[in-house]
Amino acid sequence: MRPARLFLESPHFLTLLLLLAVAWSVTNLDWGGPILHTNGWQSALTLLLAGFMPDLSPSFLLVCLRASWQTLAIALTSMTIAVLIGLPLGILASGGLATTDSRFQMPVKVGARFILGALRSIHELVWAVLLVAAIGLSPLAAIIALGLPYAGILGRIYAEFLEDVQGEPLDALRSSGASTVQTLMYGRLPMCLPDLISYTFYRFECSIRSAAILSFVGIRGIGYEIQISLGDLLFGQVWTLLFVLLALVALVDFWSGRVRHSLLTS
Amino acid sequence: MNPPGVGLEDVLRNGQGPAGDFIEASPLAVVDQVTKSYPRVTALSSVSLTIYPGERVALVGPSGGGKTTLLSLLSGVLQPDSGSLSVAGKTLEQKLSRRELSSMVGIIHQQLDLVPQLPVVHNVLAGRFGQWGMFRSFLSMVWPQDYTMAATALEQMGIEDKIRERTSHLSGGEQQRVAIARTIVQAPRLVLADEPVSSVDPGRAQEILQLLTSLTEGSGRALVASMHTPYLVQQFFSRAIGLRDGQVQFDIAATELTPAIQSDLYNLGHQDTDPPWH
Repeated sequence: MRPARLFLESPHFLTLLLLLAVAWSVTNLDWGGPILHTNGWQSALTLLLAGFMPDLSPSFLLVCLRASWQTLAIALTSMTIAVLIGLPLGILASGGLATTDSRFQMPVKVGARFILGALRSIHELVWAVLLVAAIGLSPLAAIIALGLPYAGILGRIYAEFLEDVQGEPLDALRSSGASTVQTLMYGRLPMCLPDLISYTFYRFECSIRSAAILSFVGIRGIGYEIQISLGDLLFGQVWTLLFVLLALVALVDFWSGRVRHSLLTS
Repeated sequence: MNPPGVGLEDVLRNGQGPAGDFIEASPLAVVDQVTKSYPRVTALSSVSLTIYPGERVALVGPSGGGKTTLLSLLSGVLQPDSGSLSVAGKTLEQKLSRRELSSMVGIIHQQLDLVPQLPVVHNVLAGRFGQWGMFRSFLSMVWPQDYTMAATALEQMGIEDKIRERTSHLSGGEQQRVAIARTIVQAPRLVLADEPVSSVDPGRAQEILQLLTSLTEGSGRALVASMHTPYLVQQFFSRAIGLRDGQVQFDIAATELTPAIQSDLYNLGHQDTDPPWH
């Protein structure tokens, strides 16, 4: 017999509460007049129609090429940093290096988790603003600003993957005399490598988007160009840049698919 | 070598032939009054056994009778509630280093317990981990250490050509050979095998048991395996121990294990209710 649930605990109550909250927030928002301003519909239409007429002039495509190269370079470098920081911290946070001496196990695990959490809890834009203030408008600021929070995210997920590996092969390794480190190297890591790599690629996609966005604090790249074109009301150019961004992400997606496939079948 | 009238079996069992003719007198494994309970059941109650070098012991009996628990205790994975186990003179309860434990006992599971993503050579060399330090293990990742040991073991198993292949590409039978090769490389005194042939076809069962029993030849080692098929026990083992309800029901020469004795073991005390297992 299950004990009868309180009304407060039922999912229907939660749904109701959320719906009420949505209704309340819509009615209470100060829209500052009508939802769209006087020429709003006209501007929206112009922007939308420009999507069918992207600017494909050679000179602008060259701008796009350079901008996407800058964005890609920032994303790639920052992901490298993120993996270099995230993997060791993730391994520590998973308890994968814990020796039989369990006195150090908890502090190390908790410490690593805390660092990962701290890196993660500050958004890349905030890191970027801080770093631009500290070291100026350089690609280095963008790379570090992206690398730190991504290290936090990667490390956290790596730790979970490593902890979730279970089963006969690990038991067999231990019973044939493998230490914790050996079990990590020859068991946990190879067993979840496809997952680790595929998640890293997914995050690489995200980092391309983030790198583009970082341009809004003044770092060159696709976002920077979008900002300029938007300022000049050149919607065709904006669309070209968006398509380029889309193409970049699709490219990485395709690449990660190939890598994962070859990992699983090789 | 043995005095006439005394079979090797008797010598091994008693540890001593007539006229003080000690052969392998010191036991390899001693299980003394061991009891192990789980929250709901008593898996082993006050079991005592002595296993001598060269013996090939088959544990038989119904599921839940205590075979797997006994193997886990002997492998040092589980600790007994009371009583003691020792292998090669060392008590298993002591805080043994992994180096010591891995040279004492090695276990082969029925399930494929290799790391599928690694090349075969690393799975075989896992048997050496107990002897390696951290640096050697790291080095082995790129430059396999003790390579000739792995190659020799795989050659013994007849699959030396697979040494560089990814383990997941091997067939089930080949993977089982890799697991045995790992145990060869580990070279424990006591080899344990949990249901080594319960899910393989008869032809392969013969091969696997041939390979497993060959591990005990010559070198002061012994094999303990849980088994279900009487004729395979007769063919490959020297001794059969019947376990049921956590107790030793019989401890006989393997040749005496007739299907009738085995089905008695399965039906003991339940003649009117339970059908025999297979």
